[in-house]
Amino acid sequence: MILEAKDLNYYYQDGESRRFVLKNTNVSFDKGKFYTILGQSGSGKTTLLSLLSAMDTPHNGEVVFDGKNILEIGHDNYRRNKVGIIFQSYNLIPTFTAVENVLVSMSITENELPDDHKTVAYNLLDYIGISQDKANRTVNKLSGGEQQRVAIARALSTNVELILADEPTGNLDEEMEQEIIDIFKKLAHEHKKCVIMVTHSNDIAEQSDQTFYLKKGVLNTNE
Amino acid sequence: MNFFKRGLLSITRRKGKSLILLAVLFILGNVIAGAISISQATANVEESIKERLGTGATLELDYEALDSMDESEMMNFEIPNLGEELINQIGELPYVKYYDYNTTTFLASEEIESYNPMMEEAEGEVEMAGMGPQFQLKGVNYAPLLDIEEGKSELVDGRVFTDEEIENGTPVAIISKKLADLNNLQVGDTFSLSNQIYEFSESGEEEVLDSRDVPLEVIGIFEPKTVNSDSENPEEFDYMDMDFQNTIYVANALVSQEMEFAVGDMPEYEDYYVPFFVLNEPEDAEAFEEEVSPLLPELFIVRHASDSYDSIAAPIESMSNLSKYVLIASVITTILIIGLVVLLFLRDRKRELGIYLSLGEARMRVVGQIITEVLIISIIGMTLSLFTGNLLAQTVSDSLIDNDNNQREDEIYYYTEMQTDLTTEDVIDAYEVSLTGDFILLFYAVGIITILLSTVIPLIYIIRLNPKKIMM
Ligand SMILES: Nc1ncnc2c1ncn2[C@@H]1O[C@H](COP(=O)(O)OP(=O)(O)OP(=O)(O)O)[C@@H](O)[C@H]1O
Ligand SMILES: [Mg+2]
Repeated sequence: MILEAKDLNYYYQDGESRRFVLKNTNVSFDKGKFYTILGQSGSGKTTLLSLLSAMDTPHNGEVVFDGKNILEIGHDNYRRNKVGIIFQSYNLIPTFTAVENVLVSMSITENELPDDHKTVAYNLLDYIGISQDKANRTVNKLSGGEQQRVAIARALSTNVELILADEPTGNLDEEMEQEIIDIFKKLAHEHKKCVIMVTHSNDIAEQSDQTFYLKKGVLNTNE
Repeated sequence: MNFFKRGLLSITRRKGKSLILLAVLFILGNVIAGAISISQATANVEESIKERLGTGATLELDYEALDSMDESEMMNFEIPNLGEELINQIGELPYVKYYDYNTTTFLASEEIESYNPMMEEAEGEVEMAGMGPQFQLKGVNYAPLLDIEEGKSELVDGRVFTDEEIENGTPVAIISKKLADLNNLQVGDTFSLSNQIYEFSESGEEEVLDSRDVPLEVIGIFEPKTVNSDSENPEEFDYMDMDFQNTIYVANALVSQEMEFAVGDMPEYEDYYVPFFVLNEPEDAEAFEEEVSPLLPELFIVRHASDSYDSIAAPIESMSNLSKYVLIASVITTILIIGLVVLLFLRDRKRELGIYLSLGEARMRVVGQIITEVLIISIIGMTLSLFTGNLLAQTVSDSLIDNDNNQREDEIYYYTEMQTDLTTEDVIDAYEVSLTGDFILLFYAVGIITILLSTVIPLIYIIRLNPKKIMM
């Protein structure tokens, strides 16, 4: 077990009242598996992912990584060294090239990496399907699919075991979507990472090792 | 790719914005550099002129306080005298290099002529009967003569006094070269002055009541070292020089004897001494004044030779003040403008900043990157404005001085013990805007501190960023 959520509670303040998005959510994830989280729009999938990725703090309960509360690890430290996050809207630095975007995260992490960051970054991009020629373009000159690949390469570049992705294929066509899902499967099964992906699509959910359904603030293993 | 490299990359990838920031910094840098140039140049003038004015100090009545007295106070006020004891006590203070005190009287002579350049020009030996005393008999206590030690004049022949001569009031004198030449006097010669007591009759005519001869042996001859030999107004008559040439140095004791003869049997006569202290360093002035003031009789104050700087440096002083205001205003403007421009640019880069934070970068490093970027552009802008700002300062101050100098009223001279022959012209001549190491250092220091202050607003913005809101 690499990641565990215990009794997570999260609400948005709505004037005087609290609107709970997550109610006593309990869930755990293992290495080497590809998970999907399904749920209707507004059900709280992104909120859950923001708590699992330490982008936000639950009002109650805890997120435990490798047996340690992530507050104890430190949120910045956790994001820097333990988790790779992939966003729906890519979130790349537009003035930097693809390879530079990957290099940024490699310089921020404290994880053990090979000395020659540049070579590692080019190889990683190549593995994800970005040629050296495209790797040297500023990212706003890449297609959406290509940009999301760069974001995946960035998430992988710090050598983390946990990948969190929030609807990473939301803006892509089906073909591109499938390619990315294949990458995720490979990461989980061949590279023994834990990949957790939020999606709308039942097709994708069917391809994962396990699917969770988020409904009315509660996470279930069946619909 | 650490935050420093990221900063460099951001500058080169956003050329347009970098150039806008550079242009703004260059303009503001010019104003700051100009203001610092002028303020430094004025400070340098002050220092060099004060050095030329010397470290002399005297004790004198506070004429301003006297002026503000009302009549009844005035009536009851008795001018206190500085005793020899007090002068010696002050003279022994560690700040004092050497000191002297003088009592002065004026004597006439039937035997020798006084130096008067106006008469020379008239080419006629006009007999000036009853012209009164023309020779300033200046008593001294300091045997080697302060005026010579201080470089106001130099000994061209003979010797200075000995301590015994000072103590005993031996009738020996040191006279000026002009006076000696005029009267064919040499070291070893003797001449005599006459101490005359006048009485004024009712019709206003003066009558000599009594007189006695004062024979003096010439032991030394001095020549004043005039600073302004080539005066710009040759038609202006130099009374100060004439007084100096007709000064005869003798021992205080000798002057005292002649004064006693002159006052006759008036009771309670006291010698009135004017002290003069030469301090070790100009910096000692303040400490000296602090220590001496409590020892002085009522209404006496310490006056420094350098005090007269204020009266001759008006155009420089007004420029110095102006430059200080401009400096303060431009620093504040820079902090606000750069702060807002950087903030504006950062809002465009909100997503980028959020990415760094989501990748777990410490906020301080993100702040560090932004400060690096701003500082790099600032240093380029400052380096460019260093030279142009300095040039600007030269042009501006030239026209400011011209303006101010033309409007200047004729200077009012009032005689004090420390009369200086330095004028406003000298002060303006000493003024020079130049590109010195000190200026460069100060400019960068002020510039960098200003820029750092201007990044406070953007810094707060970064600290408050919430990456979740930006990215999820
Ligand atoms: N900052 C916010 N303030 C108030 N309410 C919010 C905020 N962010 C999200 N919500 C609300 O919380 C609920 C869950 O939002 P969340 O973004 O987690 O849903 P989601 O499952 O990711 O939806 P989607 O599939 O559309 O991305 C929604 O009802 C949403 O309106
Ligand atoms: Mg969502």
